[in-house]
Amino acid sequence: MTQIIHILLVDDDPAENVILRALMKKVTSASIELHYCETIDGALDFIRAGNPVNMVLMDNRLQPQADFRETVPAMRQQGFIGPIGVISSSLADPYFQKFEEYGADFRIDKSELDPTAIEFILREYVSKN
Amino acid sequence: MATLLKNHRRYDIFNDLEKALNRVDFFRIFHTMALRFGFDHFGILQLGNENDACMLSNRLTLHDLPSGLAEEYDKRHRFGDSVVYKSLHASTIPSVWKADDPHLGNGSNLLAQLGFDLLLCVPVNGINGARYAILFLGDSEDIERREHFELCYDAIAAFDYFYRLVLSNKAGMGLTPRETEILRWISHGKTASEIALIVSVSEHTVNSHTATILKKLDVVNRTQMVAKAIREQIIQ
Repeated sequence: MTQIIHILLVDDDPAENVILRALMKKVTSASIELHYCETIDGALDFIRAGNPVNMVLMDNRLQPQADFRETVPAMRQQGFIGPIGVISSSLADPYFQKFEEYGADFRIDKSELDPTAIEFILREYVSKN
Repeated sequence: MATLLKNHRRYDIFNDLEKALNRVDFFRIFHTMALRFGFDHFGILQLGNENDACMLSNRLTLHDLPSGLAEEYDKRHRFGDSVVYKSLHASTIPSVWKADDPHLGNGSNLLAQLGFDLLLCVPVNGINGARYAILFLGDSEDIERREHFELCYDAIAAFDYFYRLVLSNKAGMGLTPRETEILRWISHGKTASEIALIVSVSEHTVNSHTATILKKLDVVNRTQMVAKAIREQIIQ
Protein backbone atom coordinates (compact mmCIF):
# COMPACT_ATOMS: atom_id res chain seq x y z
CA MET A 1 0.00 0.00 0.00
CA THR A 2 1.84 3.09 -1.20
CA GLN A 3 -0.95 5.61 -0.78
CA ILE A 4 -0.64 7.89 2.25
CA ILE A 5 -3.49 7.59 4.72
CA HIS A 6 -4.38 10.81 6.47
CA ILE A 7 -5.72 10.37 9.99
CA LEU A 8 -6.94 13.32 12.01
CA LEU A 9 -6.65 12.97 15.77
CA VAL A 10 -8.84 15.26 17.86
CA ASP A 11 -7.81 15.16 21.51
CA ASP A 12 -7.41 17.91 24.09
CA ASP A 13 -4.44 16.12 25.62
CA PRO A 14 -1.32 16.78 23.48
CA ALA A 15 0.36 13.77 25.13
CA GLU A 16 -2.08 11.53 23.27
CA ASN A 17 -0.82 13.00 20.01
CA VAL A 18 2.74 11.98 20.94
CA ILE A 19 1.61 8.49 21.97
CA LEU A 20 -0.51 7.90 18.89
CA ARG A 21 2.20 9.26 16.61
CA ALA A 22 4.61 6.68 18.02
CA LEU A 23 1.95 4.00 17.61
CA MET A 24 1.34 4.89 13.97
CA LYS A 25 5.06 4.53 13.21
CA LYS A 26 4.79 0.88 14.24
CA VAL A 27 2.14 0.24 11.61
CA THR A 28 4.14 -1.25 8.77
CA SER A 29 1.38 -2.04 6.29
CA ALA A 30 0.50 1.58 5.51
CA SER A 31 2.03 5.03 5.28
CA ILE A 32 0.12 7.10 7.77
CA GLU A 33 0.22 10.83 8.18
CA LEU A 34 -1.23 11.84 11.50
CA HIS A 35 -2.73 15.31 11.78
CA TYR A 36 -3.64 16.70 15.15
CA CYS A 37 -6.22 19.17 16.45
CA GLU A 38 -6.72 19.98 20.10
CA THR A 39 -10.30 21.22 19.83
CA ILE A 40 -13.43 20.39 17.88
CA ASP A 41 -13.35 23.89 16.37
CA GLY A 42 -9.82 23.23 15.17
CA ALA A 43 -10.98 19.95 13.62
CA LEU A 44 -13.92 21.61 11.89
CA ASP A 45 -11.58 24.29 10.48
CA PHE A 46 -9.19 21.56 9.33
CA ILE A 47 -11.99 19.81 7.41
CA ARG A 48 -13.38 23.09 6.10
CA ALA A 49 -9.96 24.00 4.72
CA GLY A 50 -10.21 21.00 2.41
CA ASN A 51 -7.32 19.03 3.92
CA PRO A 52 -7.36 15.36 2.94
CA VAL A 53 -8.66 13.21 5.80
CA ASN A 54 -9.30 9.47 5.38
CA MET A 55 -10.35 8.87 8.97
CA VAL A 56 -10.96 10.79 12.18
CA LEU A 57 -10.07 9.50 15.62
CA MET A 58 -11.91 11.54 18.20
CA ASP A 59 -11.37 11.55 21.94
CA ASN A 60 -14.76 11.07 23.55
CA ARG A 61 -14.51 13.99 25.94
CA LEU A 62 -13.18 17.30 24.72
CA GLN A 63 -12.85 20.50 26.73
CA PRO A 64 -14.86 22.21 27.98
CA GLN A 65 -17.72 19.74 28.18
CA ALA A 66 -18.43 18.15 24.84
CA ASP A 67 -18.58 14.42 24.25
CA PHE A 68 -18.97 12.50 21.02
CA ARG A 69 -22.73 13.01 21.01
CA GLU A 70 -22.03 16.65 20.12
CA THR A 71 -18.66 16.51 18.39
CA VAL A 72 -19.38 13.73 15.86
CA PRO A 73 -22.64 15.32 14.58
CA ALA A 74 -20.73 18.61 14.26
CA MET A 75 -18.18 16.89 12.01
CA ARG A 76 -20.97 15.35 9.95
CA GLN A 77 -22.72 18.70 9.57
CA GLN A 78 -19.44 19.98 8.17
CA GLY A 79 -19.88 17.40 5.39
CA PHE A 80 -17.30 14.85 6.52
CA ILE A 81 -18.49 11.41 5.38
CA GLY A 82 -15.34 9.41 6.14
CA PRO A 83 -15.12 7.06 9.11
CA ILE A 84 -15.03 8.49 12.63
CA GLY A 85 -13.80 6.40 15.54
CA VAL A 86 -14.45 7.43 19.11
CA ILE A 87 -11.63 6.80 21.58
CA SER A 88 -12.40 6.52 25.24
CA SER A 89 -10.68 5.18 28.32
CA SER A 90 -13.90 3.42 29.20
CA LEU A 91 -16.73 2.24 26.98
CA ALA A 92 -18.97 1.54 29.96
CA ASP A 93 -21.33 4.52 29.58
CA PRO A 94 -24.64 3.31 28.17
CA TYR A 95 -24.72 6.00 25.49
CA PHE A 96 -21.87 4.23 23.73
CA GLN A 97 -24.46 1.66 22.68
CA LYS A 98 -26.00 4.32 20.46
CA PHE A 99 -22.82 5.59 18.84
CA GLU A 100 -24.10 4.84 15.32
CA GLU A 101 -27.06 7.15 15.83
CA TYR A 102 -24.65 10.01 16.38
CA GLY A 103 -22.78 9.27 13.15
CA ALA A 104 -19.77 7.47 14.66
CA ASP A 105 -18.45 4.31 13.01
CA PHE A 106 -16.72 2.51 15.83
CA ARG A 107 -15.56 2.91 19.40
CA ILE A 108 -12.31 1.75 20.88
CA ASP A 109 -10.84 1.83 24.35
CA LYS A 110 -7.55 3.74 24.68
CA SER A 111 -5.90 0.68 26.17
CA GLU A 112 -6.92 -1.42 23.15
CA LEU A 113 -5.40 0.90 20.59
CA ASP A 114 -2.26 -0.92 19.45
CA PRO A 115 -0.65 -1.31 15.99
CA THR A 116 -2.68 -4.47 15.35
CA ALA A 117 -5.92 -2.63 16.10
CA ILE A 118 -4.90 0.28 13.84
CA GLU A 119 -4.13 -2.13 10.98
CA PHE A 120 -7.49 -3.83 11.43
CA ILE A 121 -9.37 -0.53 11.46
CA LEU A 122 -7.56 0.64 8.31
CA ARG A 123 -8.45 -2.62 6.57
CA GLU A 124 -12.08 -2.30 7.58
CA TYR A 125 -12.67 1.39 6.97
CA VAL A 126 -10.00 2.85 4.72
CA SER A 127 -8.55 0.25 2.35
CA LYS A 128 -11.93 -0.67 0.91
CA ASN A 129 -12.85 2.90 0.05
CA MET B 1 -29.07 -8.61 22.67
CA ALA B 2 -31.57 -9.83 25.20
CA THR B 3 -32.36 -13.15 23.54
CA LEU B 4 -30.26 -15.32 25.83
CA LEU B 5 -31.09 -16.55 29.30
CA LYS B 6 -28.86 -16.60 32.37
CA ASN B 7 -28.59 -20.32 31.77
CA HIS B 8 -26.25 -19.44 28.92
CA ARG B 9 -23.40 -18.65 31.27
CA ARG B 10 -21.02 -16.13 29.85
CA TYR B 11 -18.90 -15.48 32.96
CA ASP B 12 -16.34 -12.68 32.64
CA ILE B 13 -17.13 -11.68 29.07
CA PHE B 14 -20.86 -11.18 29.64
CA ASN B 15 -20.68 -7.37 29.62
CA ASP B 16 -18.42 -7.12 26.58
CA LEU B 17 -20.63 -9.46 24.59
CA GLU B 18 -23.86 -7.75 25.55
CA LYS B 19 -22.46 -4.39 24.42
CA ALA B 20 -20.94 -5.59 21.15
CA LEU B 21 -22.50 -4.06 18.03
CA ASN B 22 -20.17 -4.26 15.06
CA ARG B 23 -17.06 -5.94 13.66
CA VAL B 24 -14.70 -3.60 15.49
CA ASP B 25 -16.29 -4.63 18.79
CA PHE B 26 -15.78 -8.31 17.97
CA PHE B 27 -12.24 -7.58 16.84
CA ARG B 28 -11.65 -6.00 20.26
CA ILE B 29 -13.18 -8.95 22.09
CA PHE B 30 -11.26 -11.67 20.22
CA HIS B 31 -8.01 -9.69 20.13
CA THR B 32 -8.14 -9.11 23.90
CA MET B 33 -9.06 -12.77 24.43
CA ALA B 34 -5.99 -13.90 22.47
CA LEU B 35 -3.67 -11.63 24.43
CA ARG B 36 -5.21 -12.64 27.77
CA PHE B 37 -4.33 -16.28 27.17
CA GLY B 38 -0.79 -15.62 25.95
CA PHE B 39 -1.46 -15.68 22.19
CA ASP B 40 -0.60 -12.91 19.76
CA HIS B 41 -3.32 -13.27 17.13
CA PHE B 42 -6.70 -14.75 16.38
CA GLY B 43 -8.55 -15.69 13.20
CA ILE B 44 -12.11 -16.82 12.55
CA LEU B 45 -12.09 -19.37 9.79
CA GLN B 46 -15.09 -20.38 7.74
CA LEU B 47 -15.17 -24.11 7.10
CA GLY B 48 -16.84 -25.58 4.07
CA ASN B 49 -16.67 -28.79 2.15
CA GLU B 50 -13.25 -30.29 2.80
CA ASN B 51 -12.66 -30.95 -0.89
CA ASP B 52 -13.46 -27.43 -2.08
CA ALA B 53 -10.44 -25.44 -3.19
CA CYS B 54 -9.73 -23.01 -0.43
CA MET B 55 -7.39 -20.17 0.40
CA LEU B 56 -6.62 -19.05 3.91
CA SER B 57 -7.21 -15.37 3.09
CA ASN B 58 -10.70 -16.05 1.69
CA ARG B 59 -11.75 -18.18 4.61
CA LEU B 60 -10.80 -15.71 7.34
CA THR B 61 -13.93 -13.72 8.15
CA LEU B 62 -12.32 -11.73 10.96
CA HIS B 63 -8.71 -11.74 12.10
CA ASP B 64 -5.92 -9.65 13.51
CA LEU B 65 -3.04 -11.21 11.61
CA PRO B 66 -0.44 -8.79 10.23
CA SER B 67 -1.68 -7.29 6.95
CA GLY B 68 -0.79 -9.42 3.97
CA LEU B 69 0.33 -12.49 5.96
CA ALA B 70 -2.56 -14.71 4.85
CA GLU B 71 -2.21 -13.51 1.25
CA GLU B 72 1.54 -14.24 1.27
CA TYR B 73 0.83 -17.69 2.70
CA ASP B 74 -1.67 -18.36 -0.11
CA LYS B 75 0.88 -17.45 -2.75
CA ARG B 76 3.27 -20.13 -1.49
CA HIS B 77 1.14 -22.85 0.03
CA ARG B 78 -2.13 -24.64 -0.33
CA PHE B 79 -4.19 -24.22 2.82
CA GLY B 80 -6.37 -27.18 1.83
CA ASP B 81 -3.31 -29.46 2.02
CA SER B 82 -2.40 -28.53 5.59
CA VAL B 83 -2.84 -31.12 8.31
CA VAL B 84 -4.62 -28.51 10.45
CA TYR B 85 -7.24 -27.81 7.79
CA LYS B 86 -7.85 -31.51 7.21
CA SER B 87 -8.12 -32.17 10.95
CA LEU B 88 -10.83 -29.51 11.28
CA HIS B 89 -12.92 -31.68 8.99
CA ALA B 90 -12.04 -34.88 10.79
CA SER B 91 -13.15 -33.91 14.30
CA THR B 92 -14.82 -31.14 16.29
CA ILE B 93 -12.56 -31.61 19.31
CA PRO B 94 -10.48 -28.47 19.96
CA SER B 95 -6.86 -29.04 18.96
CA VAL B 96 -3.45 -27.68 19.95
CA TRP B 97 -0.59 -27.60 17.47
CA LYS B 98 3.11 -26.87 17.82
CA ALA B 99 5.43 -25.95 14.98
CA ASP B 100 7.76 -28.79 15.91
CA ASP B 101 5.06 -31.49 15.97
CA PRO B 102 6.83 -34.33 14.16
CA HIS B 103 3.75 -35.57 12.29
CA LEU B 104 3.02 -32.23 10.61
CA GLY B 105 5.54 -32.88 7.86
CA ASN B 106 7.30 -30.29 5.74
CA GLY B 107 4.82 -29.42 3.05
CA SER B 108 1.76 -29.14 5.25
CA ASN B 109 2.97 -27.49 8.44
CA LEU B 110 0.69 -24.48 8.65
CA LEU B 111 2.31 -23.17 11.82
CA ALA B 112 5.85 -23.15 10.53
CA GLN B 113 4.66 -21.67 7.25
CA LEU B 114 2.92 -18.82 9.07
CA GLY B 115 5.86 -18.35 11.44
CA PHE B 116 4.28 -19.16 14.80
CA ASP B 117 5.08 -21.74 17.47
CA LEU B 118 1.67 -22.54 18.91
CA LEU B 119 -1.82 -22.78 17.44
CA LEU B 120 -5.08 -23.51 19.21
CA CYS B 121 -8.14 -24.39 17.10
CA VAL B 122 -11.63 -24.18 18.56
CA PRO B 123 -14.28 -25.57 16.20
CA VAL B 124 -17.58 -23.70 16.57
CA ASN B 125 -21.03 -23.59 14.94
CA GLY B 126 -23.48 -20.87 14.05
CA ILE B 127 -27.02 -21.45 15.33
CA ASN B 128 -27.96 -22.84 11.91
CA GLY B 129 -25.09 -25.32 12.02
CA ALA B 130 -22.66 -23.39 9.79
CA ARG B 131 -19.16 -24.50 10.71
CA TYR B 132 -16.32 -22.20 11.67
CA ALA B 133 -13.14 -22.49 13.71
CA ILE B 134 -11.50 -19.91 15.94
CA LEU B 135 -7.71 -19.98 15.65
CA PHE B 136 -5.35 -18.53 18.24
CA LEU B 137 -1.71 -18.13 17.18
CA GLY B 138 1.33 -17.26 19.23
CA ASP B 139 4.82 -18.17 20.30
CA SER B 140 4.13 -19.71 23.72
CA GLU B 141 5.41 -23.21 24.37
CA ASP B 142 2.08 -24.68 25.37
CA ILE B 143 -1.24 -23.91 27.07
CA GLU B 144 -2.29 -25.34 30.43
CA ARG B 145 -5.42 -27.44 30.72
CA ARG B 146 -7.38 -24.85 32.74
CA GLU B 147 -6.56 -21.97 30.39
CA HIS B 148 -7.30 -24.20 27.45
CA PHE B 149 -10.79 -24.96 28.74
CA GLU B 150 -11.50 -21.33 29.59
CA LEU B 151 -10.34 -20.06 26.23
CA CYS B 152 -12.45 -22.65 24.39
CA TYR B 153 -15.52 -21.66 26.40
CA ASP B 154 -15.00 -17.92 25.89
CA ALA B 155 -14.36 -18.44 22.17
CA ILE B 156 -17.59 -20.43 21.76
CA ALA B 157 -19.60 -17.76 23.60
CA ALA B 158 -18.05 -14.86 21.68
CA PHE B 159 -18.52 -16.61 18.35
CA ASP B 160 -22.20 -17.18 19.11
CA TYR B 161 -22.70 -13.41 19.44
CA PHE B 162 -20.51 -12.68 16.42
CA TYR B 163 -22.48 -15.10 14.30
CA ARG B 164 -25.90 -13.83 15.35
CA LEU B 165 -25.00 -10.15 15.11
CA VAL B 166 -22.70 -10.07 12.10
CA LEU B 167 -22.51 -13.28 10.07
CA SER B 168 -26.00 -14.74 10.05
CA ASN B 169 -28.24 -14.39 7.05
CA LYS B 170 -30.92 -12.07 8.33
CA ALA B 171 -33.41 -12.86 5.55
CA GLY B 172 -36.98 -12.13 6.60
CA MET B 173 -36.01 -9.99 9.57
CA GLY B 174 -37.59 -6.55 9.85
CA LEU B 175 -35.70 -3.40 8.93
CA THR B 176 -34.62 -0.93 11.60
CA PRO B 177 -35.82 2.69 11.31
CA ARG B 178 -32.36 3.73 10.08
CA GLU B 179 -32.34 0.99 7.43
CA THR B 180 -35.81 2.00 6.26
CA GLU B 181 -34.65 5.62 6.03
CA ILE B 182 -31.66 4.63 3.90
CA LEU B 183 -33.83 2.40 1.74
CA ARG B 184 -36.15 5.35 1.13
CA TRP B 185 -33.25 7.57 -0.02
CA ILE B 186 -31.99 4.78 -2.28
CA SER B 187 -35.45 4.64 -3.84
CA HIS B 188 -35.10 8.37 -4.52
CA GLY B 189 -31.99 7.65 -6.55
CA LYS B 190 -29.43 8.98 -4.08
CA THR B 191 -25.87 7.60 -4.02
CA ALA B 192 -24.17 6.29 -0.89
CA SER B 193 -22.13 9.44 -0.42
CA GLU B 194 -25.21 11.65 -0.88
CA ILE B 195 -27.14 9.59 1.67
CA ALA B 196 -24.19 9.82 4.09
CA LEU B 197 -24.39 13.62 3.88
CA ILE B 198 -28.19 13.68 4.26
CA VAL B 199 -28.33 11.25 7.19
CA SER B 200 -25.13 12.52 8.89
CA VAL B 201 -23.25 9.24 9.00
CA SER B 202 -20.19 7.94 7.16
CA GLU B 203 -20.35 6.48 3.68
CA HIS B 204 -19.06 3.25 5.23
CA THR B 205 -22.12 3.12 7.52
CA VAL B 206 -24.47 3.68 4.58
CA ASN B 207 -22.81 0.83 2.64
CA SER B 208 -22.95 -1.42 5.66
CA HIS B 209 -26.68 -0.69 6.18
CA THR B 210 -27.27 -1.29 2.47
CA ALA B 211 -25.56 -4.69 2.69
CA THR B 212 -27.78 -5.59 5.66
CA ILE B 213 -30.92 -4.52 3.79
CA LEU B 214 -29.88 -6.72 0.84
CA LYS B 215 -29.55 -9.67 3.22
CA LYS B 216 -32.77 -8.98 5.09
CA LEU B 217 -34.85 -8.60 1.93
CA ASP B 218 -33.02 -11.52 0.32
CA VAL B 219 -32.22 -9.59 -2.86
CA VAL B 220 -29.08 -9.22 -4.94
CA ASN B 221 -28.88 -5.55 -5.90
CA ARG B 222 -30.29 -2.10 -5.20
CA THR B 223 -32.81 -2.27 -8.05
CA GLN B 224 -34.32 -5.51 -6.83
CA MET B 225 -34.16 -4.11 -3.30
CA VAL B 226 -36.34 -1.11 -4.14
CA ALA B 227 -38.73 -3.20 -6.27
CA LYS B 228 -39.24 -5.69 -3.47
CA ALA B 229 -39.57 -2.98 -0.82
CA ILE B 230 -42.37 -1.32 -2.83
CA ARG B 231 -44.04 -4.66 -3.52
CA GLU B 232 -44.01 -5.49 0.16
CA GLN B 233 -45.09 -1.95 1.07
CA ILE B 234 -42.04 -1.25 3.23
CA ILE B 235 -41.85 2.03 1.31
CA GLN B 236 -44.53 3.75 -0.77
